Amino acid sequence: MITRRLFFSRTATGLGIPAIATLLNGKGGLAGLPHFAPKAKRIIYLFQSGGPSQMELFDYKPKLVEYQNTDLPESVRGGQRLTGMSATQSSFPVVPSKFQFARHGQSAAWVSELLPHTAKIADRLTFVKSMHTEAINHDPAVTFFMTGFQIAGRPSMGSWLAYGLGAETEDLPAFVVMISPGQGGTGQPLYDRLWGSGFLPSRYQGVKFRSIGDPVLYLSNPNGFSPANRRQYLDSLKAMNQLKADELGDPEIGTRIAQYEMAFRMQTSVPELTDLARESPATFELYGPDSKKPGTFAYNCLLARRLAERGVRFIQLFHRDWDHHGKLPEGLPKRCKETDQPAAALIQDLKQRGMLDDTLVIWGGEFGRTVYCQGRLTADDYGRDHHPRCFTVWMAGGGVKPGVSIGETDDYGYNVVRDPVHVHDLQATILHLAGIDHTRLTYKYMGRYFRLTDVHGKLVKDAIA
Amino acid sequence: MLAQALVLMAAAAVEYNRDIRPILSDKCFACHGPDSGNRQAGLRLDLESTAKAELRRKFPVVAGDPDRSEVIRRIESDNKALRMPPAYAGHEKLTAADGAMLRRWIEEGARWQKHWSLIEPRRPQPPAVKDASRVRNPVDAFLFARLDREGLKPSPEASRATLIRRLSLDLTGLPPTPAEVDEFVQDRADDAYEKVVDRLLASPRYAERMAIRWLEAARYADTNGYQTDGVRDMWRWRDWVIEAFDRNMPFDRFTMEQLAGDLLPKPALSQKIATGFHRNHRTTAEGGIIDEEFRVEYVADRVETTAAVWLGLTLNCARCHDHKYDPLPQKDFYRFFSFFNNVPEKGFVYNFGNEPPFVKAPTAEQQKKWDDLDARYQAARNEWSASAPARQLQQREWERSLTAKPDQDWAPREGLIVDRKLEDVRFDGKRAIDLGTDVAKFNHRDPLTLAVWVKHDGKNGAILTRAEDYWEGSGYGLYLVDGKLRFHFTMRWTDLGMRVETAQPLAPGQWHHVAVTYDGGMKAAGTHLYIDGREAAMKVLFDQHLWPVDHKAPLRIGAGSGLGFEGEIDNVRIYKRALTPDEIAALPLKQSLTGIANLAERTQAQQAKLDLAFVDTFAPDAAMRKAKAGLDAYVATLPTVMVMQEGPVRDAFILKRGAYDAPGEKVTAGTPGELSPFKPEWPVNRLGLAKWLVDRTHPLTARVTVNRYWQMLFGTGIVKTVEDFGSQGEWPMHPELLDWLAVEFMENGWNVKGILKTMVMSSAYRQASKPTAELMQRDPENRLLARGPRLRLSHEMVRDQALAASGLLVERQGGPSVKPYQPPGLWNELAGGKDYQADKGEGLYRRTLYTYWRRTIAPPSMVNFDSPTRETCFVREGRTNTPLQALNLMNDVTYLEAARKMAERMLREGGDSQAARLRYGFRLLLAREPSAGEASILARTTDEFRQTYAADRAAAVKYLAQGDAPRDETLDAAELAAYAGAASLILNLDEAITKE
Repeated sequence: MITRRLFFSRTATGLGIPAIATLLNGKGGLAGLPHFAPKAKRIIYLFQSGGPSQMELFDYKPKLVEYQNTDLPESVRGGQRLTGMSATQSSFPVVPSKFQFARHGQSAAWVSELLPHTAKIADRLTFVKSMHTEAINHDPAVTFFMTGFQIAGRPSMGSWLAYGLGAETEDLPAFVVMISPGQGGTGQPLYDRLWGSGFLPSRYQGVKFRSIGDPVLYLSNPNGFSPANRRQYLDSLKAMNQLKADELGDPEIGTRIAQYEMAFRMQTSVPELTDLARESPATFELYGPDSKKPGTFAYNCLLARRLAERGVRFIQLFHRDWDHHGKLPEGLPKRCKETDQPAAALIQDLKQRGMLDDTLVIWGGEFGRTVYCQGRLTADDYGRDHHPRCFTVWMAGGGVKPGVSIGETDDYGYNVVRDPVHVHDLQATILHLAGIDHTRLTYKYMGRYFRLTDVHGKLVKDAIA
Repeated sequence: MLAQALVLMAAAAVEYNRDIRPILSDKCFACHGPDSGNRQAGLRLDLESTAKAELRRKFPVVAGDPDRSEVIRRIESDNKALRMPPAYAGHEKLTAADGAMLRRWIEEGARWQKHWSLIEPRRPQPPAVKDASRVRNPVDAFLFARLDREGLKPSPEASRATLIRRLSLDLTGLPPTPAEVDEFVQDRADDAYEKVVDRLLASPRYAERMAIRWLEAARYADTNGYQTDGVRDMWRWRDWVIEAFDRNMPFDRFTMEQLAGDLLPKPALSQKIATGFHRNHRTTAEGGIIDEEFRVEYVADRVETTAAVWLGLTLNCARCHDHKYDPLPQKDFYRFFSFFNNVPEKGFVYNFGNEPPFVKAPTAEQQKKWDDLDARYQAARNEWSASAPARQLQQREWERSLTAKPDQDWAPREGLIVDRKLEDVRFDGKRAIDLGTDVAKFNHRDPLTLAVWVKHDGKNGAILTRAEDYWEGSGYGLYLVDGKLRFHFTMRWTDLGMRVETAQPLAPGQWHHVAVTYDGGMKAAGTHLYIDGREAAMKVLFDQHLWPVDHKAPLRIGAGSGLGFEGEIDNVRIYKRALTPDEIAALPLKQSLTGIANLAERTQAQQAKLDLAFVDTFAPDAAMRKAKAGLDAYVATLPTVMVMQEGPVRDAFILKRGAYDAPGEKVTAGTPGELSPFKPEWPVNRLGLAKWLVDRTHPLTARVTVNRYWQMLFGTGIVKTVEDFGSQGEWPMHPELLDWLAVEFMENGWNVKGILKTMVMSSAYRQASKPTAELMQRDPENRLLARGPRLRLSHEMVRDQALAASGLLVERQGGPSVKPYQPPGLWNELAGGKDYQADKGEGLYRRTLYTYWRRTIAPPSMVNFDSPTRETCFVREGRTNTPLQALNLMNDVTYLEAARKMAERMLREGGDSQAARLRYGFRLLLAREPSAGEASILARTTDEFRQTYAADRAAAVKYLAQGDAPRDETLDAAELAAYAGAASLILNLDEAITKE
């Protein structure tokens, strides 16, 4: 990182305004990083907020048909604490998936009929079926996934990456966030802290790209103030700030001047980014009909590719409304329909552009769902509560081994029986693929060297190519 | 790093606290420190006794003999397997310089010291300074003596204009007016500067400026945080803080009232309100959370916050294990925890307002009105009592008259919304009577009564419901389950609702009158079941009735929740209030009024029915009822505030790994053993804790507090890590100065204004902030203070200054939070539901500390400028410099509107020439005149804008249409737009958002 002192010496020798390290999220990143050659230069995280059901999507459990409507044995539940929502339930009847599974591709991966597009690219994916977490409710669980800790206050994964690695671009932020609601549903709320910088300087926070109003807050010039006006304005502002800089020699003023220039560049680069006019019909077809509708998951996936092309380091998508406590057979297919094609399209699109090899894509939620029914179990309706002990995520691209499935759960799909992967393990692996030793990316705050993985995390070696 | 280099330049002999502890702590203590659970090889280096003792035939530290000291051997070892710290220890390595320092220290005798911040501060003698002419007070003596040692000189005094802007921003958070600047610049009196200081400290604006940092430390907000992020009302606590600063409440008292106001003898309302400090933490209403897990989290938050704010210690590091760096065993955390553990509270809280315990917290004005209304009601009640004899005579006469008339009957009428007679309707389990969806739409805060006659066949059934058709369906209803009368009020059957039933079953095959009343208080305790007019013993099955119900099902007799009814039902009565027991008793009475009047002997219920009927018929209590209704209606509008309260003592335990469900050894309340002693005369509760914190012998409270004030004025604390005075915190840059200030603060009665005045009266504070090239190299962070502070304004000042300079600022102290501009859609896109609605009028222009703060979606323009998010305690002031700030200042309607209003002032008040007007705009924000260079750029830009807008007046009108404040239509649009552009330019100058 260029220190203020270095900066000063450069300006003092009359070089004027240098490429400043601390622009938005810092182009430069920390000295000594990456720790080793990264396999993924950028990361796209397709977070499915609410807890998608592993049992209906990836973790095929044929025996559940036999167990149907029997009470989940206490020996399987093993004292697992229950949420306040099913703690009052008097029985825990097992309910099998209503949806059919089939094997796909050379890897013969089990994928549900709800995800036909994902099924087609199964050979490109690495499934982790043995994910487990500690939290049993959304707020702590999502916060845990994004920050490595259940309680608010720590930096998000993207902030750590921006802090450590900086950006590959000077025109866009290093860390961008996009949100899509489940259509027609409401879904669990999200919170700024999920992309916040915690105790890291606030410039490392994720910048939200929005589907209504300005894509980036305050981006557009006001009505009646033309780009030409803005250029004049910025020239004058720069000249006046420069007078002050010359008088005082405080490098902070030089940084300020550069930030206004970057703001100006963003006024061009962001609209250019969100202008899909030059995307081909084939691309829209690939991502599906929603991809022209701002604010949908499909649109965000397409934007994610465009951001990746432009060197954004960490692209975080959130899709909401996977929390199927009840009416799962009605709600889950809708979420799948919204996300299946675009997610698969993103992988294919990155592949065809030669970017998949150095772009890591991750798909998954904050926990899984229970094998037992929550609420009324009827012939065609059921729900599932939150389940921390096992769930599935998949990864693709930058440095992961395609076409493999890691870990295994028991016949009930309740406990991991082989190769458990903890949230901190996944985080450690993501950092590793980005060229970072997770134990060495630290920040001293309140006397302690904090890191994304707290004091835990071991690499999921089987996932790494 | 640089700060450390500076230290070294001045260092003579090695000093453990300054030179050695930071190395040992950072590199060794994690494995060889206070944490007994993780201690490797049995070696403990933080204590002299163990570090010098023999350990497996070796001595870790041998005073005077580094080569025999195992510590040095291991540090210097070439053998990777032996070398310390080991490679796997992660983060930063021990440097050669660190190793050399340790060697030197052992050579010099390896002397230990108690950690500096745990030693009671004593007032040091101010040192002699080479050039005493610049020393105005001891602050200068300490700082300038250090500069002497560094071979540096203080900078000259800043200009008057710079000084008054610096002071005004620092002490009031707002810029000076041009008139104030002129007055100060022209005041040649010796005490001109001091007069300004005194004026600013006396201003009510001072209190608002001081309050905001405290609100951030106290994690104050208008919502609960966590997932559902419901609303709360803590602004009366916020106003208490402002009033306390306004009155310059001594900091020891400020501490006691906030931590333990409720435990003071005969606490005043204000002292209870003060305890809201520790109810400001986040709370959750997320469905499914485990109550105890979060209750424990709240208590832990209080510990963490208290430790950060008063102790400057990271006590929370001892929550899961012994502290790794400081002498704070895990037990100390839970002993501290125990002080805050007895609040009668829950983990799962109400999502739509304050969670108990809370108090009504009227303002002075409201209290007066409350007293008035109460007095009126008391008077009416007295009158009612006084008229009792006359009334009895009247009633007796009326009763006699009844016997002579045709049969009359009566039942309670007030609030009756359904009165349905069915006459021999038989229910067969399938048929039901549907009364539609527009009736009896009760919600969780609505009182109600359901009363009905039933004769059941012994099967489970639904008597009277508005509930969806599945068991425990959303809505409310009266049921029979196993013969017992049940009442459900359900939002979500899993976890939100209330279920109660009678202890005894209802005999089948005979008529019974059944009723339920609910007072709207969201508790089963406010619910009563009645059988045949008498209250029935009740069992509470579930009691978490906290959420409104979205009624979908119609009101039905004989169906609901998936049940039908078999038997007969009659006389359905529904009231929108909870009837009294006497009223309920009157319902099943077989005798009419006339019948009762004819009885010689009456039961209590019979007499009560006559009494009620009499009052109902003739309304002799109308005046009293009206007064009561007025009083109740007013009281319902009064603000409340959540407060601390001592409930029954909860046992506290060491929680293994910090987990709520893994209690270990039981502990009692107490303070950390390594700090000053807890005196036996203090009560062992929060009050004792507060007394301990502000005791003269306490090593931390005063140091930590003055250090935060120092940070507020100089940008960086004397101890940079304002939240950590422990082993891993930074060694104080000016240790004697810190101690002097701490002792001065305490001995001067914890006088906050006093200590701030001492700081700003110093020559050090008054220095110009212009750095020399040498200073920029030697001390880029300005820790030595050989120049004045030059810092970006804090987030709230950036906005408040723009409002003040434009004349838009509405100054009014206190009141509910307000909603200024915010880009639309921010709330909705993250959380769904209702979007943010900006206020109209005044609410747009209040000072930023009154801005409504939704924790999970904080105001974006504040976060852009580094405000803490208020999710947890935060005391460090951060300052970044980003393009988002540039976009924010250029394009946010807040600043566009302010620029336009500034432009109007420039045109109206600035004089006749363009030069004068631009100069005036400059002065409004920067308190100084522009230089010739600046003036010419500004003039050129204004001219260019004028040309653009003269050619395109429509654009001018659009540009001027930003914000709600009306535009001065008497001013030419193109002209005004040109000046608005210029004003925006000034607002965006680096200097405008910088304290020079």
